[in-house]
Amino acid sequence: MDPRDPQQLVDYVGSLDCIHCGLCLNTCPTYRLTGVESSSPRGRIHMMRALAEGAIEADADYADELDFCLLCRNCETVCPSGVQFGHLMEHARGALEPRRDRTAFQRLGRRVGFDLLLRDRGALRFVAVVGRAAQRAGLVGLAARIAGPAGHGLRDAPSIPPASERTRLPVFTPALGARRGAVALLEGCVMPELLGATNRATVRVLAACGFDVHVSRQHVCCGSLHAHNGEPAGARALAVETIAAFDALVDEAGAPLPLVVNSAGCGSHLKELAHAVPGEPDHERRAQALSRRTLDLCEFLARGAGAEGLAALIANVRARDTVRVTWDDPCHLLHGQRIRREPRDILRRVPGVELVEMEAAESCCGSAGIYSLLRPDDATRILDPKLEALRATGASVLVTANPGCQLQWAAGIRRAGVGVRVLHVAEVIDEFVLSAASRPGA
Amino acid sequence: MDARVVEELRAILGHSGVLAERARRVTYESDGLAFARHVPELVILPRDTRETAAAMRILHTHGIPIVPRGAGTGLSGGATPVAGGVVIGTARMRDVLEIDAENRCARVQAGVVNVDLTHAAAEHGLFYAPDPSSQKACTIGGNVGENSGGPHCFRYGSTTRHVLGLVIVLPDGEVLDLSRPAVDAQGYDLVGLFVGSEGLFGIATEITVALLPVPPVTVTMLALFRDLDAACDAVSDLIAARLEPSAIEILDELTIEAVESSVLAAGYPKGVKAVMLVEAEGSEAEVAATVDAIEPLLVARGAFDVRRARDEAERARLWAGRKGAYGAMGRVAPDLYVCDAVVPRTKLRELVRQTIAICHARGLRIANVFHAGDGNLHPNIPYDRRNAEELRRVLEAGDEILKACIAAGGSLTGEHGVGLEKIGAMEWMFTGPDLDAQCRVRDAWDPLRRMNPGKLLPVHACRETRTRDPRGGTR
Ligand SMILES: Cc1cc2nc3c(=O)[nH]c(=O)nc-3n(C[C@H](O)[C@H](O)[C@H](O)COP(=O)(O)OP(=O)(O)OC[C@H]3O[C@@H](n4cnc5c(N)ncnc54)[C@H](O)[C@@H]3O)c2cc1C
Ligand code: SF4
Ligand code: SF4
Repeated sequence: MDPRDPQQLVDYVGSLDCIHCGLCLNTCPTYRLTGVESSSPRGRIHMMRALAEGAIEADADYADELDFCLLCRNCETVCPSGVQFGHLMEHARGALEPRRDRTAFQRLGRRVGFDLLLRDRGALRFVAVVGRAAQRAGLVGLAARIAGPAGHGLRDAPSIPPASERTRLPVFTPALGARRGAVALLEGCVMPELLGATNRATVRVLAACGFDVHVSRQHVCCGSLHAHNGEPAGARALAVETIAAFDALVDEAGAPLPLVVNSAGCGSHLKELAHAVPGEPDHERRAQALSRRTLDLCEFLARGAGAEGLAALIANVRARDTVRVTWDDPCHLLHGQRIRREPRDILRRVPGVELVEMEAAESCCGSAGIYSLLRPDDATRILDPKLEALRATGASVLVTANPGCQLQWAAGIRRAGVGVRVLHVAEVIDEFVLSAASRPGA
Repeated sequence: MDARVVEELRAILGHSGVLAERARRVTYESDGLAFARHVPELVILPRDTRETAAAMRILHTHGIPIVPRGAGTGLSGGATPVAGGVVIGTARMRDVLEIDAENRCARVQAGVVNVDLTHAAAEHGLFYAPDPSSQKACTIGGNVGENSGGPHCFRYGSTTRHVLGLVIVLPDGEVLDLSRPAVDAQGYDLVGLFVGSEGLFGIATEITVALLPVPPVTVTMLALFRDLDAACDAVSDLIAARLEPSAIEILDELTIEAVESSVLAAGYPKGVKAVMLVEAEGSEAEVAATVDAIEPLLVARGAFDVRRARDEAERARLWAGRKGAYGAMGRVAPDLYVCDAVVPRTKLRELVRQTIAICHARGLRIANVFHAGDGNLHPNIPYDRRNAEELRRVLEAGDEILKACIAAGGSLTGEHGVGLEKIGAMEWMFTGPDLDAQCRVRDAWDPLRRMNPGKLLPVHACRETRTRDPRGGTR
């Protein structure tokens, strides 16, 4: 393989699937924002093809259009030609990364982030401790200034919860009441540090629905952020670790447990994990097996035994008053995993919840993994119209199912001064069903 | 492009309104006619009439050619850039300026996407009738440029029937406001003249269109045929019986297969040779009468199953499949050539057969999906533009198909326009004096012929006029 061969820089054959019909334009957030063809799916694919055919160089403008993409995959959902846009973009970013002009500081940042932090629970913990201290001491503004433009995202970074919230999940939580089965749960890399409460709610819900919950002690990160951000080597290594970690969690008969995921971005990546280990037949096979038993929490609770468990729980609860709630589709749930109905069905069944649809719920909120940290201004411009849509619903709770979206919404809502709480589906069930059931007189 | 011109334009349009970088410009090198390509020297994206006019004045001063562009979904090369020229895109002009529900009209910026207008109108119980299959992407300005049609134009007529007024920026930057709806129009109907001018007269920046009340009842029927001929004959029968459905569309087997394996799978049964979509709209009684009259006609021609969409969701699915057919053909080959010709509706069967024979004789595949009610054929020929020899056969087949349609008493284009694609064919249809007359109309709008040069009117046909016309002759 010749790294200078422009055809190696993109998935050329994949790019030929685009027939230029334009049906994806109007759904692309970055095109709607700018009206610029090269910021549209059709345009980005066109650039990839032009690069492979030698019509353009892999220059800074090309790189910028790749970076501007949210990888929300809205374009895939509407493409009649079946273009695998997510894959094309991951490939293009991965192949471009070694040739990029990055400052030494940026390079260092990426190595620390992708090779150190996301690979090591201890390092993540350390950053959380230091980060919280810095946030409390008001040092973040200073750090952001030192880091220059690259540090811009620091200021908008989510606030890190206190140590009491940042605890790991137990490796085993037994089912409550009638046992319906056992599942593995993905704890996630940054989840325990930033959204431990969501994780704990997830465990409570699963246990209350009748499932033993197993968590892997060694596992850190599934590698989805690496795959999205041009780090295929990191993505590969983490895919191998992930396969090993979850193949080891088995039921009484020795069969691997279904893997429940409460982060849509990770779930979407895990369902396509074989992409991360190309050309390794044994790993590909095991990756596919893991993909088949991976379920988003919404899917799990909307089908089969999971749905029965939830129905049994709900049967015990009567609502006191009604709260207006709206649902925002995480891109990697809707566009990545094509899950649309399940979360809505679940929310409609929760006593005390009045579900109202929000306009453009199917469009990206701008979180997009670490996009909101890398391109904070663009992320804000993407979220702003959605904040208006949220206001228009009159909802007091916004529900989603992905950590990045939770944090992005929370930050936007704080900025805009809208009085809306952001909850994960698991937290909604935890609050409206579990807590309600334990309330005296319920 | 001259750096000074870029500077002057940036002063008006801002940095993000002027695209000078090659990586970005390359994405504008073609519209849906993928084999015709030229990377534009510059692309500009004004936000309103004022910015468009100011930018066009600068381009006029420097004598720079202009190619207007909406969403670039055109299929005849209307938005293909020209050498030394600037592309003016309307993609940042996407505001619905006003919906006047009482007077049933809307005023929109040219870059508003067709379907966005439909959504905005729906809030008032109204709709915008022309619905090209590309409606999720194409702009109202582009629709005006091409006088576009769509499935429902069978009943409601194409774009020109629905445009009430325009604000136009002329090639020298002057603004011509034809937006006041004048029932008793004095002088020529310039709005009517502009619709279908394919970007040769100026740029429309604001468009006033008529809206219609959403009909109380809509029934969508799906009829299945074991044979494409039978489906064509059924259309001829429907027309002869003077029935008034609002749309009649036919999809053949290859199209059905492509659609059904896509995200837009509509539930068209695989294995049938043709499906026909028929829609009837109006009052309950009217629709019932139409549907009751249509069904037996279809059955008599061999439809072995005629179903009605049960609900709005199913209706939407049936139409989404039809409208995604072009895109779904991307599963068959990287590029698609869509011929666009009109034939008398009594001759549908014959001409469809001929088009198939013409393609097969050249070793080409063909999918037929078309606005049958209008007699508007769309033979879709999948190809790969990297294969020059195949492309040659495709274009040859296209020419043969057009000739056959003209010979049968049809015409060159139903709705996609002439653009670059059919410029040669203009001479099969029109005589020298006809073309001369058209050139003079063009010269009245654009004496320097800087707007979309090389499109629509064959250059050598205009030479005659040019030598006689002092303004044209000096160039
Ligand atoms: C999947 C698919 C389905 C299609 N189905 C149909 C169909 O059913 N019916 C149909 O009629 N067409 C159809 N088309 C063709 C195409 O969508 C139409 O011609 C459409 O109107 C083009 O709109 P656009 O915004 O993409 O314009 P463009 O392609 O960008 O431009 C079209 C022409 O109009 C000119 N133009 C654009 N904007 C302006 C303006 N503001 N002022 C003056 N001139 C302007 C351009 O110079 C060019 O000549 C289809 C195309 C595709 C890809
Ligand atoms: S919808 Fe698909 S085929 Fe059509 S332009 Fe977009 S990516 Fe290409
Ligand atoms: S992934 Fe999202 S942002 Fe990127 S091109 Fe597709 S729709 Fe646009």
